Amino acid sequence: MMEVKVRPLECWNDFKKYRERYYKNYLEAKDKGGIRWAGSAWAFDAIPHGLGEDVYPLTGEPYGATCAFFHEFSRQCLETIERKGAARDLCGYMRNYWGSIAQNKYLLADGSIVEPFPRPDFNFTIHICCSHAKWYHYAAELENGVPTYAVDISVGPGYLLDDKKINYVVKQLNDAIPWMEKITGREYDDELLIKAVYAEADAMSTWAKICKLNQARPAPLEEKSMFSLYVLNLINRSDPEVAKLYHKLYDEVESRVKRGIGALTHEQFRFFTDNPPPWAFLKVYRYLEKEYAAISLGAIYTFGLGGGWIGMDEKGEKWIWEPAPTPEEAGVEITNREEALRWTAEYNLRYRASWQHEYSHWIRKLETYQMIKDWNADAIIMHINRGCELWNMSTLEVRDYLVKKGIPVATYEGNMADPRDFDEARTFNVIDSFMQSLGIERISEK
Amino acid sequence: MIVAGIDAGSKFTKVVLVNENKEIIGTSNVRTGIDHHKTVEEALEEALKAAGISRDEVDKFIATGFGKISVPFADSELTQVVAAGKGTYFVWPKVKTVIEVGAEESRAVKVDENGNIKDFALADKCAAGTGSFVDAMVRYLEVPLEEFGRMSLEAKGNIPMNAQCVIFAESEVVSLLHNNVPKPEISRAIHDAIADRVASIARRVGIEDDVVVIGGLANDVGFVDSLKRELGTEVHVPDKIAPELVPALGAALSGL
Amino acid sequence: MGKKVEEVPQLKQFREWFDKRHEYAKEWKRENGGKIVGYYCTYCPEEILYAAGVLPVRILGSHEPESITRPYLHDMYCPFCHDTLAQGLQGRYDYLDGVTLAQSCLHMRQSYFSFVDRVPNIQWSYYMHFPHGVNNPHATPYLRWELEKFKSAVEEWTGVTITNKELDKAIEIYNKNRQLMKKVFELRRGEKPPITGLHAMEMVVSSQVVDKKDHNEILESFLEDLKDVEVDRETGTRLILIGSEDDDRSFLELVEYGINYPATFVYEECCTGARYFWDEVRPNEDRLMALAERYVKRIPCPAKDWAAGELIRRRFQHIEKVIKDYNVQGAIIAQMKFCDPHELDIPSLRVLFDKNNVKHLTLELDITQPIGQFRTRVEAFLEALGEEDLFF
Repeated sequence: MMEVKVRPLECWNDFKKYRERYYKNYLEAKDKGGIRWAGSAWAFDAIPHGLGEDVYPLTGEPYGATCAFFHEFSRQCLETIERKGAARDLCGYMRNYWGSIAQNKYLLADGSIVEPFPRPDFNFTIHICCSHAKWYHYAAELENGVPTYAVDISVGPGYLLDDKKINYVVKQLNDAIPWMEKITGREYDDELLIKAVYAEADAMSTWAKICKLNQARPAPLEEKSMFSLYVLNLINRSDPEVAKLYHKLYDEVESRVKRGIGALTHEQFRFFTDNPPPWAFLKVYRYLEKEYAAISLGAIYTFGLGGGWIGMDEKGEKWIWEPAPTPEEAGVEITNREEALRWTAEYNLRYRASWQHEYSHWIRKLETYQMIKDWNADAIIMHINRGCELWNMSTLEVRDYLVKKGIPVATYEGNMADPRDFDEARTFNVIDSFMQSLGIERISEK
Repeated sequence: MIVAGIDAGSKFTKVVLVNENKEIIGTSNVRTGIDHHKTVEEALEEALKAAGISRDEVDKFIATGFGKISVPFADSELTQVVAAGKGTYFVWPKVKTVIEVGAEESRAVKVDENGNIKDFALADKCAAGTGSFVDAMVRYLEVPLEEFGRMSLEAKGNIPMNAQCVIFAESEVVSLLHNNVPKPEISRAIHDAIADRVASIARRVGIEDDVVVIGGLANDVGFVDSLKRELGTEVHVPDKIAPELVPALGAALSGL
Repeated sequence: MGKKVEEVPQLKQFREWFDKRHEYAKEWKRENGGKIVGYYCTYCPEEILYAAGVLPVRILGSHEPESITRPYLHDMYCPFCHDTLAQGLQGRYDYLDGVTLAQSCLHMRQSYFSFVDRVPNIQWSYYMHFPHGVNNPHATPYLRWELEKFKSAVEEWTGVTITNKELDKAIEIYNKNRQLMKKVFELRRGEKPPITGLHAMEMVVSSQVVDKKDHNEILESFLEDLKDVEVDRETGTRLILIGSEDDDRSFLELVEYGINYPATFVYEECCTGARYFWDEVRPNEDRLMALAERYVKRIPCPAKDWAAGELIRRRFQHIEKVIKDYNVQGAIIAQMKFCDPHELDIPSLRVLFDKNNVKHLTLELDITQPIGQFRTRVEAFLEALGEEDLFF
């Protein structure tokens, strides 16, 4: 088997440090007189930027995933919240988040735990699955009534958007601004909003461009590392520093492709995954790499969660995996609040890949199929994730579709954020069975 | 050339010996004890004795099954999915859908006309579609295992099993007994419930004839009958070899 | 002496419609020659379909074990979405011409997608992007727009132009149905409710599966007859049922008829109960706006009830009012297994009941119910409630 040149990513530490600083900034915001807010990673995070340059968010899903990564803390969170009557089949991220509040303990990126849990000045989120807005509604109750505002974005997929749908979202965003002003006592600065909106599109479209580079053979990135890289778009994507880091990463990955530098020393099998991974068991990826020289190129999750993509074509017949245009690329100039809100609403509704397939399993079938084709993958290994009913919607229909299209599919059951729902031996058994049935030999046997 | 296929299951350990002509020359089936290594040795001894050969005459050992790690001397390992597919295709070449119901796990394997594995599905973490469910129920009914399967065929089949979960099912069986529901009816309700779970796994890979059921539960006529009704198609049980030995056979054949 | 409630013929009619809903629909089709559309969630603006001469019927399950939906729906999706899809796959809805979903929870969505694709007789389908944010002021005008598109789609499919006159007629018939059922419910506020939760469920669900005109006719005489009914059962503990698609007769029978301690449901806060019909369409020159307002402002399903600036749940406010108006003593929270929207409310709902001194019991519903388990738990619950009345 041909050996591939491998190098560590030079900007790895920049990303790591940003994330560490992020959780600390939220914790220490009050020491500097700043503002804290909490919400989904999908919240319109450009909006609170207008409150000032000392505004620090905490996004719930990445925080929940961080909890899950540290098993013991996660177990305590989950058990604490179950005692309050939260059902075990609810969103795993959310239960970790609630449990963290209920224990009054806050987890930092390095796994250290501090008390108390830093209470946000307000919750600002979106609602697309059954949980998002209700997640923060209950969190607010656990924290004795944090003001909470959720934006309904359930207007349908991008290719079916019309002015009235966009306006519905814009109006809610418009109302959110005086609401935030009232809570924080601050005057809103539209210039900061405009800057944030530009930065958001830049960061999301650049991430999409980085993902496209993974079409190369050997692939310059493997998914496990991508988890550490895409996360900035989920914690603070409207911060101009994030866009800058993605540009730096893009340049480096592009150069790796040119120089033939890959993510793995051996690449004999290229696959995609589906759904958020079981965060406490990322060794699944290492196992596939070490035993089978199999590389995960990404997932509609990893690509689409924080990426801006063209998505479905106008007729709704084909999925297009091309980066979405930034305002500059679209020839749009944003000069005032109304334009900024409209841009961010439309950009997210139209191009946020992970929002599109919530309205039809047909979209998700096309999206997944096209990804496998465009990135030249050999197969897909799907995580049937008990921890997220949104990401789990349509998965079995997609499985059926892909099998009929002749694409090898394996499924394993687990939970992105509840380590108790994952069975390691069974999962490795699935992987071995799949590889053996496809005739992929173990490299350890070679 | 002689190859031993060793299927170290959670409840039974099975060994099948084949020669270069793909003839089965010896088999064994031993209850898995606490010491898995010891069980493997016992099962192997028994199969060798049946074949009338010594251990030195075996050229290759292929391990499969839940406890394949307990076969340290194995030359290679075969996953249960591939073992089930290979073994069934050999004993039933027209097979397209293999359904294996073991003590603690059930699975469905789709094979093509050349015996290649096209797709597979494993049961979710649930005991409701496995052999251990039958074991638990037999304890409540206090009837021998063979009788339990046979009596199901006599039932009218008008008692549904409402509980979807083994834990609830146990208490439901107890209350059915208290209400003097005839045992054949209870047996039928239990078999239908297991068949329901197993069928739902099999449907994930798609039901295509011939459907062949292997694993220990394939010996239970009540279960096979329920599964036939549930799937609405003929369900075959291998006749050349005991259905629980098929994966060990698949493992042995893979070494040739 | 009046007659016993079990002898009231209208109740038998409700039960017959409930049991023979498919036969009714087929008969309706033969007689009217019209189209029938199955709808998945009670947010469907039925009036628009009805105004086009289409009979809307709610797609419900049958509470029988099944194994045919597992290839399409994950096990952790709720039993209702499995059960409904199973009905379609088994051909029990073979008379439907179309199916529609006013966007609600994810599970129903997934079931709807598979139903549309896999039930062969479905010629027409419509997925409406019904807003989730029913507590924000922009939802009504936005829904008006979605209704306009829905109306056009129905017109295009049926070839019928939906006039204001037809809409008014449909609204009138639907409102009448709502008013009548509300009147029946109000009779349950008294000391001796004339009907049980089982009767109420059969009344409401039958309304969802038959022509409202037929239902209204029976309801009107039912109300008359109820005046003379002799209540021959002991009311016992006055219960509220909190839930979703609680149409499993075996469960209601157990609680009201199968336990040694008497108990009666006096109110069902679920979509096979009050949530379906409680709120009326208020007249407006703009008919679609009138409908939009009704569907946005109705008692919300938990899937749509959350904070948009103010930390309130409208459903909870309604429940608190019902507790007082109906003198509720105990609550059974019938939680559809894996139903996230309800699970998300339960911790806070328990606090609400505690605050109002209402004892509560949560039971998890599946396609079929483990009645033995339920009996033990309900019995203990009712026994404990009874003890509270003791004095020494």
